[in-house]
Amino acid sequence: MGCCYSYFCNDDRSSHGGDVNERTHLLVDPVSNNCNVQRANSEDILTRNSNNVPKKTDEQSALNKILQEFATNVIDVGALDSHTLQQNEYLERMRLYDLRVQRCNKSKILTKKKYILQDIPTTDKILSVDPLSKDDIKMVCIT
Amino acid sequence: MAEEIKKILQDILTKVPDLHCILITDRDGVSVAKVCTEKATESGTRFGFISTFGLAVDQGSKLGLGKTSTLICYYSQYQVIQMNKSPLVLTFIASKKCNTGLIMALENQLEPIISELSMVVAET
Repeated sequence: MGCCYSYFCNDDRSSHGGDVNERTHLLVDPVSNNCNVQRANSEDILTRNSNNVPKKTDEQSALNKILQEFATNVIDVGALDSHTLQQNEYLERMRLYDLRVQRCNKSKILTKKKYILQDIPTTDKILSVDPLSKDDIKMVCIT
Repeated sequence: MAEEIKKILQDILTKVPDLHCILITDRDGVSVAKVCTEKATESGTRFGFISTFGLAVDQGSKLGLGKTSTLICYYSQYQVIQMNKSPLVLTFIASKKCNTGLIMALENQLEPIISELSMVVAET
């Protein structure tokens, strides 16, 4: 409806020689503008794939492409292809991984050990040190 | 080598209270390294269960929030935490009362093992 209206409106404008009157629209019709933009987009998609191939095939392939893109973006849990391994396939692959794990670089794993708390092996030595003298404690406390 | 990895994982397992299982698998749920206590649920360690994570990750990435990195599921008795370490999947099975943050912090600790084991799966 918007398109039709803008068509007549354009006619009006041409008949009045572009003069501004009470029938002139203040805003440009957004619907007809959008139509133009959309047409340009679909043409773009068609022309992107047109290389010496008949036009109908182009259109079909462009539509298929859109359909495929749409299908990959849809989350359809029911239609998910759940590929489950067979038991023998699973065991075979597990054996293969076991063999490869044996060949892994041991040093890379063991040298990067990091813990928040560090182990103190000689705790006796630290604990048996003479405590601070009373004078030293006083000096620290008076501030 | 497999023994050393198992030992490191076993050490971590004993240090986190109520953590029952650490599993390193490929996307199809095939085990590469695994340590479990007797409390671990058997159904949670099945490859059919673990492989669903791969599907969830694929679908989750379509939500427009970026790549799915971690999935935390709480059940009435257990919690299952799965981390996407493509091509590996890191799975923790713990009791419901286990500290989830503590498990999440294990990610950095396990990084050297994960990077080394990634090569094992990537060769396929």
